[in-house]
Amino acid sequence: MKNLIIYIITAVIFVVTLGVGYLIADQYLGRAPEQPINFSHRIHAGDNEIPCMYCHSYAERARVSGVPNVQRCMGCHKIIKTDSPEIQKVAGYWDRKEPIPWIKVHNLPDHVVFPHKRHVKAGRKCQECHGPVETMDVVKRIAPLKMGWCLKCHGKYDVKNGRECWTCHT
Amino acid sequence: MKRRDFLKFIGAGGVGTGLGILFGQAIKPPGSKLIPYLIPPEDVIPGIANWYASACTQCAAGCGILVKIMDGRAKKVEGNPLHPISGGKLCVRGQAGLQSLYNPDRIPGPLRRKGARGTNSFEPISWEEALSEVTAKLKELSDKGENDKLYLLTSALSGHLGRLTDDFMAGYGSTNTINHDLFDYRNLRYANSAAMRLDAIPHYDIENTQYLLSFGADFASTWLSPVNLSRGYGEMRQGEYRERGKFVQVEPRISLTAANADEWVPAKPGSEAILALAIAKLIVDSGHYTGADASAWKALLAPFGLTYAAEATDLDKKKIRHIATEFMNTRPSLAIGGESISAYSNGVSGLVAVNILNHVAGNLGIKGGVRANDRDLFAGTRAKKVGPGIDALIRAAEAKEVGMLLHYNNNPAFTTPGTVKAAEALKNVPYIVSFSSFMDETTVLSDIILPANMSYEDWGDHFADPAPGYQVATLMQPVISPVYKTRSLGDTIMELGRGVGGAVAEKMPGGTFADHIKESWSKLYSQNKGMSASALTFERFWRDTLATGGWWPEGAYKEQKLSVTPKRVARHVSKEPAKFDGAATQYPLHLISYAQAGHLDGRGANIPWLQELPDPVTSVVWGSWVEINPKTAARLGVKMGDMVEIESPHGKIQSPVFLYQGIRPDTVAMPIGQGHTLYGRYAEKRGANPIEILPSTVDKRTGVYALNSTRVRILKTGRPGDLVKMDVSTDELGRNIVQTIAPGATGKVPPSSHH
Repeated sequence: MKNLIIYIITAVIFVVTLGVGYLIADQYLGRAPEQPINFSHRIHAGDNEIPCMYCHSYAERARVSGVPNVQRCMGCHKIIKTDSPEIQKVAGYWDRKEPIPWIKVHNLPDHVVFPHKRHVKAGRKCQECHGPVETMDVVKRIAPLKMGWCLKCHGKYDVKNGRECWTCHT
Repeated sequence: MKRRDFLKFIGAGGVGTGLGILFGQAIKPPGSKLIPYLIPPEDVIPGIANWYASACTQCAAGCGILVKIMDGRAKKVEGNPLHPISGGKLCVRGQAGLQSLYNPDRIPGPLRRKGARGTNSFEPISWEEALSEVTAKLKELSDKGENDKLYLLTSALSGHLGRLTDDFMAGYGSTNTINHDLFDYRNLRYANSAAMRLDAIPHYDIENTQYLLSFGADFASTWLSPVNLSRGYGEMRQGEYRERGKFVQVEPRISLTAANADEWVPAKPGSEAILALAIAKLIVDSGHYTGADASAWKALLAPFGLTYAAEATDLDKKKIRHIATEFMNTRPSLAIGGESISAYSNGVSGLVAVNILNHVAGNLGIKGGVRANDRDLFAGTRAKKVGPGIDALIRAAEAKEVGMLLHYNNNPAFTTPGTVKAAEALKNVPYIVSFSSFMDETTVLSDIILPANMSYEDWGDHFADPAPGYQVATLMQPVISPVYKTRSLGDTIMELGRGVGGAVAEKMPGGTFADHIKESWSKLYSQNKGMSASALTFERFWRDTLATGGWWPEGAYKEQKLSVTPKRVARHVSKEPAKFDGAATQYPLHLISYAQAGHLDGRGANIPWLQELPDPVTSVVWGSWVEINPKTAARLGVKMGDMVEIESPHGKIQSPVFLYQGIRPDTVAMPIGQGHTLYGRYAEKRGANPIEILPSTVDKRTGVYALNSTRVRILKTGRPGDLVKMDVSTDELGRNIVQTIAPGATGKVPPSSHH
């Protein structure tokens, strides 16, 4: 009888913690998916100090920051490091006239409108949301990108209408 | 608690959390793809719209439009505010054009007939195959020496595309170009040419008139150039610093336009011409007309006395005299003749009568009246004079005289009366090539389909007819890349012409159709002083013109005298009334088939937005209806929504009843547009097509099938109809919301709603 109670309690603890674990994963853990090309932000943005907006050129003009077009990659890599197997992969896409199918790391649900333009124009650093990308070999999501996290920042900077529903959910 | 149990709990918790995290990570949806451009197009910033100027081709008016393009997709169409026709406005069909562009039922690429003709059984083929097959067929016909058996059936094509098809036909050696559209104003062109010697449709200056007398012109929804005329109408009624103009509409039913009028004059169907001539006679007799030929006019108009007219039109004598007095004394005044006066068996006579009326009242060639349009910018680019009509093609097909048919942008199997049996006739044609975008009742008869780009995907230009008093040339540019595997019609025609070789190949310009348009415009630029003065170089001019949408010498209106002489029109003036099929005893009701605001001639029926749009007068959606006066309905014993049979001597169709006070008790009316057997998922098997039960009566002068040329009877079916309408009731249900006072009771106090 007593054994049974112990088993039940064990089972309950197992189920509850399973849920807790799932919530932790869902809410706080990012992912660093494998990309079609082993692209290193550390080399580009860190070691070589290429500004973010050289490649993500739409960030201060549009809602999306923009993934660099393949032409932009080839602009440098026609000459630079052409012997690297990863660069040869890029050249392969270019020769086949195929865009590179990158995997999204930062994803927002459809009911939120996030304009990069406004945040960049307001003087926010890319790193405030994306973390120290210039130190990452593989990009990883750092921020939870949840509403509470957004609002914390909107409160900190005293954003005009920063707590209105329609500011983001339009 | 034992230590062992505690450890068990800790273990379970640890493993649980770990598995939970792993599970949570594992089931996270894989990140969606981020696909960059290979080479970014010019001017594209993701999420930021660009607006490109073009011309609307949903009807023939040629409104200038701006198309909003975001990330390579067309998202919205608006009127081009710089454009003199649209002035930044756009009608519902123009707005809905996007749904024909992105329509899921568009023909995605070249097709070849597989099964029996008309069974809608096609197989996809490549463009190379399609072009070589059609070229071979053209050569074959030419080798047999039967070049004149090639027929081209299109809507009236404006601009360079029209000129290219003309060159193609001329080079090939055929004169059989047939222009057909259900509403292409052939009667109006003919009447204006006969009475005023005008080839182009004049500008009806509604904007500046003080008294508009319209004989059934539904310019608020479909007639001629609805956006332009509606803008003028707005100015006339509510413009600043001017007197509000008066507007009287003569029509058997209250259309959207009539609903806006100060007075609705429901003349008996078929008698409108007599009314116009009776008013003209009153004006001439009153001495208002001072021309030297006044006595000739008096003689010509003598048969149209007031007593006769009052009887023929079923109107009060006082009413007719009142209109005549106002029409001649209000300066300037303007009479226009639209569908309901031109759609009878003697339609041309009705429109000539309107011209006579304008002449004797002194409305021709003046501001606020009828103003002639200047000659076209390019010779031959404007929609041409009245050539042979669709009836000529059908007769030739019946006689097996058509060797090959090229078909584009119209649907005669749907828009000609059922008795004409157009589809049956076309089945006699050995080889039909279609350039259609949709599988409709006519396209299904073709042997091979080479789908053309839509105007949003193609280069082109449009020369407005009617223009607003000065030339308007609108440019079309590809605002998006083709959605499907379609090709520019100009390129297809040019390639076919080159393939056939000989004289036709010589007539084909070099390069692509886009090159041809630009080159031709550069010639025009060097010849036209206004154009050369507007920019230093042609490249500069071309860039500016593409950005603004076209070229128009605004305000360059040249006064041109217009007149009508009794000699010219005598043969069109007669007391012979319009003919109607069906004896009045057996078929007691007139049938009026009219263009519905969203569907026009039926082309809008495959656009869900237009199906969903409540008709502006009846509020009905997704179907057809038959308008019946409540008095007539009471006599027939039918009520709102009942399914009834509408029977003419030539057939019967079914439609639900719409009770409508705004129609004569001896008339019923049905909108055109529904009743497609084939035209995509949104149009098929919905409602009924009133053209099906019309006789093959034509006005012999133009070959136009008369839409209002039959009487019908209404039979009960005893079943409820499928009428869906957005308003609940037009009755105020005793709430005294709309208070009225009878004309005789002036000065008396109306019954108060407060007790």
